[in-house]
Amino acid sequence: MKIIAAKKILKANEQLAEANRAAFNAAGVLAVNMVGSPGSGKTTLLEALVAALRGRMRLAVIEGDIAGSIDAERMEALGVPVVQINTEGACHLDATMIAAAAQGLELAAADCLVIENVGNLVCTAGFDLGEHVRLVLLSVTEGDDKLVKYPPIFRGSHGLVITKCDLLPHVNFRLDQAAADMRRLAPEAPVFQVCALRNEGVAALADWLAQRRP
Amino acid sequence: MHEVAIVDALIAQVEEEVRRAGVSGRVVRLDLTIGRLSGVSVEAIRFALELLAPGTVVESARVEIRQPAAVACCAACGHRADIDHVPAHCPRCGSRELSVEGGRELLLESIELEESPP
Repeated sequence: MKIIAAKKILKANEQLAEANRAAFNAAGVLAVNMVGSPGSGKTTLLEALVAALRGRMRLAVIEGDIAGSIDAERMEALGVPVVQINTEGACHLDATMIAAAAQGLELAAADCLVIENVGNLVCTAGFDLGEHVRLVLLSVTEGDDKLVKYPPIFRGSHGLVITKCDLLPHVNFRLDQAAADMRRLAPEAPVFQVCALRNEGVAALADWLAQRRP
Repeated sequence: MHEVAIVDALIAQVEEEVRRAGVSGRVVRLDLTIGRLSGVSVEAIRFALELLAPGTVVESARVEIRQPAAVACCAACGHRADIDHVPAHCPRCGSRELSVEGGRELLLESIELEESPP
């Protein structure tokens, strides 16, 4: 008799994420999953980090977007090895996509792999990609209430980066409130305040990343 | 390198399917679909099966693997091509406006059993 299963072999994304992590460990690469809303400043922060880490950590980047390669082009312009994933509508990256994309990169020639996830504060929370560090970005224009409204993504993160801090005088974002909520959701996670365009606060984040290399 | 984990999950899944179907017997054939962009090496899958299958429900199964290609579609010139990996540019016009369809499948399609006599 024949049983028609027609099922995904990997019910558990986690298993593949673990395999990714093992591969990153073997290559001595710190993998960072960068998450945040569309427009929170992920790519701009990444550009600033490339400069801040130059000479200290060799970066490689996986860019995740629903469509297009604008972000990958920005990385290429900085001379960073990059693979673009187009999810064709999927709202997050998963461990399978990362495993495939990583084949396009020479991991052994990198110290830090930054995976820029699809801009989304919800779905990205459910998928371990095999990263060592999940960095969540929140721009001050989004409001400090996002930690309360979208707790899972903050809860599972290892660091919070508050971006566009130069705009603080113009918005009613309460830094102390955001920091307090992050302490509640992820007590161990440091909170960084940056303005990537003016290169303010980026060095502290770069130092923190450099210390976390496996 | 994640193929061992995949085969591990596959065997557990076959056991589960057979149990759920309520039949006893020898699994003689498995049909899998592993897309060319799935990031899974078929060679490594077969190697992992050699390692993990003995003593499990799939130990005497023939494993058939279908490997569908992905299709790259260029938004600029309309070029469509079967691909094994995602190119950075359209091979015809050089545009970066490429989208990719399919190729990421990782499926257990069917299980064939030789039922043992009651």
